[in-house]
Amino acid sequence: MAASKFPSFPLSRRQVLKGGAALGLGSAALGLTPAWANPWGQSNVYPQGIVTGPEIALDIRRRTLPIAGRNARPICINGTSPGPLIRLQEGQDAVLRVTNLLDEPTSVHWHGLILPAGEDGAPGISFAGIAPGETFTYRFPVRQHGTYWYHSHSGLQEQLGHVGPIVIDAAEREPFRYDREHVLLLTDWTFEDPARVMRNLKTGEGYYNYQERTIADFLADVRENGFKETAQMRAMWAQMRMSSRDIADVTGSTYTYLLNGHAPGENWTALFKAGERIRLRVINGSAMSYFDVRIPGLKMTVVAADGQPVQPVPVDEFRIAVAETYDVLVTPEADTAYTLFAEAMDRSGYARGTLAPRLGMQAEIPERRRIADRGMEAMGAHGGMDHASMAGMDDSGMAGMDHSNMAGMDHSTMAGMDHSTMAGMDHASMSAMDHSSMQGMDHSSMGAMDHSNMSNKDHSDHSGMLPAGAAQPGSQYDQAGIGIVPGERRVLLYSDLKSFAPWPDRRAPERELELHLTGNMERYMWSFDGKKFSEVSGPIHFRKDERLRLILVNDTMMEHPIHLHGMWMELENGAGELIPRKHTINVKPGERVSALITADAEGSWAFHCHLLYHMDAGMFRVVKVS
Amino acid sequence: MRKMLLAMAVGLFSTTALGAGEHGGGHGIQSDVQIDRTISFEAGDMWFMPGNLDIAPGETVKFEITNTGNLEHEFVIGDAQAQEAHRRMMQEMGSGGHGGHGDHDMAEGDHGGHMPAVTIAPGETATLVWTAPENVDNLEFACNIPGHYESGMSGDIVIQS
Repeated sequence: MAASKFPSFPLSRRQVLKGGAALGLGSAALGLTPAWANPWGQSNVYPQGIVTGPEIALDIRRRTLPIAGRNARPICINGTSPGPLIRLQEGQDAVLRVTNLLDEPTSVHWHGLILPAGEDGAPGISFAGIAPGETFTYRFPVRQHGTYWYHSHSGLQEQLGHVGPIVIDAAEREPFRYDREHVLLLTDWTFEDPARVMRNLKTGEGYYNYQERTIADFLADVRENGFKETAQMRAMWAQMRMSSRDIADVTGSTYTYLLNGHAPGENWTALFKAGERIRLRVINGSAMSYFDVRIPGLKMTVVAADGQPVQPVPVDEFRIAVAETYDVLVTPEADTAYTLFAEAMDRSGYARGTLAPRLGMQAEIPERRRIADRGMEAMGAHGGMDHASMAGMDDSGMAGMDHSNMAGMDHSTMAGMDHSTMAGMDHASMSAMDHSSMQGMDHSSMGAMDHSNMSNKDHSDHSGMLPAGAAQPGSQYDQAGIGIVPGERRVLLYSDLKSFAPWPDRRAPERELELHLTGNMERYMWSFDGKKFSEVSGPIHFRKDERLRLILVNDTMMEHPIHLHGMWMELENGAGELIPRKHTINVKPGERVSALITADAEGSWAFHCHLLYHMDAGMFRVVKVS
Repeated sequence: MRKMLLAMAVGLFSTTALGAGEHGGGHGIQSDVQIDRTISFEAGDMWFMPGNLDIAPGETVKFEITNTGNLEHEFVIGDAQAQEAHRRMMQEMGSGGHGGHGDHDMAEGDHGGHMPAVTIAPGETATLVWTAPENVDNLEFACNIPGHYESGMSGDIVIQS
């Protein structure tokens, strides 16, 4: 057999005809949805309904469309929201002409694409934006492949549906094969004006949080943990003027979660034939919402993260942070329907569709899980914590710690670590500790750590840097995050992500740059190192071609998806030379993470939290490479 | 029941499979076996070439499998059910503990129920001698390291004269 360069997906003539018939039916049923969201998806022998490179024209305008059965006025790209699938080929020179038919400036940012700064589409950073009536032509060489997305980088336009998927076909064979593919684009839609959402958040951070704890929850905790511990825990949260149920800022109380533009009740359906291997390209194009994605009854094999191939990981569920993408393979053997279930991280709602052999089928919708309470791990980074109250800490609060991993620790030290003695710990020396680092400590490397040094040393005192690819103390890559019960099912972890081969630049970092993710929850101020974008004097400087380690320390009690434009971040998840590279890194509360960056992209680039209202509130910096 | 018999048949025939490479030591009998055919296989990330195999019942084949990928692979022969059982076992081995400790050499496990198998390190070539059974029509060759089969590392063995 001759080695073919591309995997081929032969479909018989009959299959193609059948597919065509179903397509006709499907597009009639789907009405105004983008053509790429057709129920038969795409395969190499049957491409249609997309805008294909290298030359693409897009127009941006506001249109009245039904969303979840109500009249809405989203921002549409070529007439639909979400916009058309942009399909490019690795090696092409893409030319994208974007015409602004809005009455305000707009922009399109190609999220995750490596391109010249002037083509990146962040207004005020790398270009002027696109004025009303103007056409801007983006031109760039396509130097990568995989699943990405595009969205407005102007104001809060992204919340109005100004988003769409990008698929770049590979020049070389990809490390997996499949018969059919579907794009699953998750978004969060609100019928409120985004500016009003922002005002509401500034009025009260808990504005959309209808899941605050009640007296019933209190009594339940008393039953479980006793009155004293419960009361102490509650007092602690009250003292911090925070709620342990701040899982998301904006919730299902205003959001309708959409899958390919469709509300859960509309049951968007992706079709397959039993036995086919299907590639699902999952994109979180939400403004504010993290999702936990699963397909009850099917194992999903994760084969790419943020567009980049990773060694395959079979999982039952994965959490997708805002702006991340994951590609998974599924092989439904049975001629039956499966629910595509994307549950919002705060459990206030879900996006849903169906994977089925025929239209009109559906499977059971899983019950939503209860909202989680943030445990002690979320408080880890808060220096102002009352240490005395730590004595009352109960085990449930310590959920973030995995005791089984502690085997490598010096047992003589451990013996002294029972909870009763914690009260007697020397608080003076503890306060000198970086609590955020203590939290998710990498237990595997702990064995080698000298505990006597740990108690009173700041990490910056450590002579020398960690080797490239090593996980920072304080990272929690082996935890799926809030609201996921460990062991319940196999959930993707950042520590699972491994590339196939080392990335081209294998230099060790020359320097470390540490940034803290900071916020004032009550006033809805979000920032880096305590300074809003409007308060900083200049950009963060990367020396051209330097290799640096970016360390991100989350001092807040929320997850932040941190996105760097123009350059990959190689996530130091402990995989050594095989660390994965990402465009967006989720940083959990109290966590300390790091990434290696090769500063090879000259120019000014946006660097920000991809929660839209956090970015707008000031969690944004410019990185200048020169 | 039929499937179970099939699995047993495969088990029986595996006694005539001789592995070289990592598994060479495991099988004591060095061969006087008559080799009818030598077939070169390539194991890449994540595929086998050729993708399928036609073989006559009773034919003895020597597989020479070269791993041209970056990852370790295995080449296991069995029916779909046995492959799945093997896969499940490998997966459980891999996710033992609490994540982040996935560095076990997962291919080193027992190849569930004595299936003919070799493990091939990146850049290496391993051989496997195997005689096709007389009473089975279809088998699979596969790599069952977690995620590899799911990514496409499998093929059909059609046994007919």
